[in-house]
Amino acid sequence: MTEERYAVIGQSVLRKGAREKVLGAAVFAADIDLGRPLVLLARRSDHSHALIRQIDVAAALAIDGVKGVFTARDIPGVNLLGIINKDQPLLADDKVRSRADAVALVVAESQAVAEQAAEAISIDYQPLPALFEPLEALAEGAPPIHKKGNLLLTRVVRRGDVDSAFAAAASLIEKEYETGFIEHNYLEPDAGIGHVDADGTLVIYASTQNPHYDHKEVVGLLDLPDEKVRIIQAATGGGFGSKLDLNVQGFIGLALHHLGHLGRPVRYIYSREEAYLATSKRHPFRIRMTTACDRSGRLTAMRVRAVCNTGAYGSYGIAVASRAAVHATGPYAIDNVDVEVQCVYTNATYCGAMRGFGAPQMALAHESQIDLHAEELHIDPLAMRTMNALQVGATSSTGQILTASIGYRQCLEAVAPYYRQACDHWLPAPTLPHRRRGVGLGGMWYGIGNTGVQNPSTARIEMAPDGSVTLFTGCADIGQGSTTVLSQIAAEILGLSPEAIRMVVADTKYTTSAGATSASRQTYISGNAVANATRNLANVLLTEAVNRLRAPKNSLLFSGGEIVVASKPEVRVAMATLARRIHDKGGTLSWQGFFDPETVPLDPQTGEGVPYATYAFACHLAEVEVDTLTGEVHVARVVAAHDVGRAINPASVVGQICGGVAMGVGFALMEEFEQGRTESMKDYHIPTAADMPEVVPIIIEAAEPSGPFGAKGVGEPALIPTAPAIVNAISAALNRRIYALPASLERVLAASIDAGHYRRKER
Amino acid sequence: MQTVHIEFMVNGKEVALDVPAGATALQVIREMLGLKGSKEGCGIGECGACTVVVDGKAVNACLLLAAQLDGCRLLTVEGLADPAGLHPLQEKMIEHHAVQCGFCTPGVLMSSYALFAEKANPKREEIVAAVAGNLCRCTGYQQIITAIEAAVPGENR
Ligand code: FES
Ligand code: FES
Repeated sequence: MTEERYAVIGQSVLRKGAREKVLGAAVFAADIDLGRPLVLLARRSDHSHALIRQIDVAAALAIDGVKGVFTARDIPGVNLLGIINKDQPLLADDKVRSRADAVALVVAESQAVAEQAAEAISIDYQPLPALFEPLEALAEGAPPIHKKGNLLLTRVVRRGDVDSAFAAAASLIEKEYETGFIEHNYLEPDAGIGHVDADGTLVIYASTQNPHYDHKEVVGLLDLPDEKVRIIQAATGGGFGSKLDLNVQGFIGLALHHLGHLGRPVRYIYSREEAYLATSKRHPFRIRMTTACDRSGRLTAMRVRAVCNTGAYGSYGIAVASRAAVHATGPYAIDNVDVEVQCVYTNATYCGAMRGFGAPQMALAHESQIDLHAEELHIDPLAMRTMNALQVGATSSTGQILTASIGYRQCLEAVAPYYRQACDHWLPAPTLPHRRRGVGLGGMWYGIGNTGVQNPSTARIEMAPDGSVTLFTGCADIGQGSTTVLSQIAAEILGLSPEAIRMVVADTKYTTSAGATSASRQTYISGNAVANATRNLANVLLTEAVNRLRAPKNSLLFSGGEIVVASKPEVRVAMATLARRIHDKGGTLSWQGFFDPETVPLDPQTGEGVPYATYAFACHLAEVEVDTLTGEVHVARVVAAHDVGRAINPASVVGQICGGVAMGVGFALMEEFEQGRTESMKDYHIPTAADMPEVVPIIIEAAEPSGPFGAKGVGEPALIPTAPAIVNAISAALNRRIYALPASLERVLAASIDAGHYRRKER
Repeated sequence: MQTVHIEFMVNGKEVALDVPAGATALQVIREMLGLKGSKEGCGIGECGACTVVVDGKAVNACLLLAAQLDGCRLLTVEGLADPAGLHPLQEKMIEHHAVQCGFCTPGVLMSSYALFAEKANPKREEIVAAVAGNLCRCTGYQQIITAIEAAVPGENR
């Protein structure tokens, strides 16, 4: 592939908006001042599972300062939410399915009054048996949580003949793995504020990952015409998947709908405790995985039976189960595959999207299996991964032929010198007598975009007659830096600096949908939509320049706000001149772009299909030191190699990698959300600066032909290999494997004792 | 509602306020002074998003009673830059890509500012310790620590 030279692609352009953020001037939803707001508060359910017989709001309404109390009956439109399957009422109707369910909404003059009123609502419940374990919920005769029953979906991926391959295996390993609920723990608790503007439009500012979806849901809830609701994304303090579901938006819409005549803004700011209670979690998984390989270590077959707990509602559960099934093989070529993933309703807080959608849970299993085989066959774990790595020309478990941009081997090669160094020098170096060292690897692949469904993005670019450029995108930047990256793509095509591109972002009045900021899809999909729009604009400018410069189109270049003849740079014309001419002739300077990756839906019986147009790859190496007496794990270093196709903004890619590793360290060692017990940040620990290892980020660029300048994505991949690498390192250190996350002090200490290391003197 | 009269310095300016007796410093800073740069991430002293500098020390404004500000010198993120430009910490945070969502950023800046006030030449470990109470879910801290290191006064001048 020829290396093209770019002016702004591949440059670590400084973040748009960073200046406001360091000044404390960035406006998050809780910072927006629209005048004296009314305060919203939901009354949450008192039971995990119960029928609602009656709701009496009279006492609450009688409290001084209460402006309204609303229940399901006050919702004029469709009281059901959900991006994939609609099963979640904004306000509970006939029953509650978890403690997170909102039963009534209070609107009051102050937080204190709202709290008092929420308490004063009297709800008559008829309790039902509550189910927290998927297996209980699937059992014969279990009370149905939803009318359709407790099984939301079974996703199957089948290929080849697993049983024959198992029979011929040199090494056959069957194990069970378990992961728990995880809290996203974005730093900014969910918040929003809204008002009714002069022409009667409900304007809602929210902390969100998908303003256009919010818009659709609020319009549906309130049965309003599209143009009567406007969603504007406020500066958003992280999301990681949780802000893909409606959190405060529907409540604000409902309050405005009924109380807009008061002329007051309404505001809902979740306390951290409410964010913990009421927003989605990562799906816990139980995975039984059996894998086989031949004597040389080549993987021949895999069988998986996995169950994931989606809690009370579907949210992104179907996507999580599907992605888990497709990603079960990891980045390895396995000819015979039989995977079944069930997604099951329970009465836990609902689970939804969280960075990786089931792939991080699956990666724990496939990466552990590789190490188990390697150990049994006395093969080096890195060699085992390299031998089985997907390559161009390989066929995936869904029957997709992988044609380009398969950088897993390159990731393994990049990590190899660090791995050897760690094994040869770091591992045998002396340490304290009760400490044991281990080195572990973790690999992953990750399909960019939604699984086997359409997920288009759009964008619009406009050039004013004076040559100034505005890019309109619905793409929510939640801190990952998409606004900067999209500006770089447009700037590169037009030969401008990214600062010269004015960005209008995530406001449903001015932008068209870019889809969700999820599935690591925005650089690839919205990047392509922006490139499409910008190339259309570039083309009319070139056409005009041909006329003006009397040179063929293919001899022209964009450079520094001008179009120049490549071979004669002194022959040039300013874009502003061209824009004015096009404008005066009545030509169009406003172009809409579109991109939808080419996918083929998965066959429900076999899983056959093309779930994603492209995949990212990564390998992490973890070096850990385990205290055999306390179970404490110190992660000394993580080397993280990522094939991102093309790093449009390398420093931002590094930021994603380092942030992903941190979340991976939390997933591996300390994070678990316990239903009914985890209430505040005192009960849930995420890594601090002091917990973090040195991270060595390595960017691999196996360019994707269909990507914008070759780019794929990195947001979720960054997290996925970390936990398996750490678990493999702990297991190597102790000679005992950990099968359940988190590898907490208790679990590690138990493994240490079991392996006979819990004796201070002997070592 | 019982109120307390307090007088203190905010970012170099004197203010006098009657604050509700039970109000936290964070509530007063955000709601009464309108300085929204200080964030509430937890309200119970666990996340550091509300960190401000009081008499040279970094404190969690969500745990401090507003009444305790009486007679103090309070510095918030809004007071870091001066008319000549950004504080070096702010500049380096931008330059080293240490800002992602930015919700933790004001707290990180204030903790680092207090560290610099106490120590002219802090080492990397001391920087890590100083911001260990400031949770960040986005960056993994590496670019933050590098940015703060780059802003250490000894290195700069
Ligand atoms: S808001 Fe004060 S420490 Fe979290
Ligand atoms: S940048 Fe988002 S929490 Fe630190």
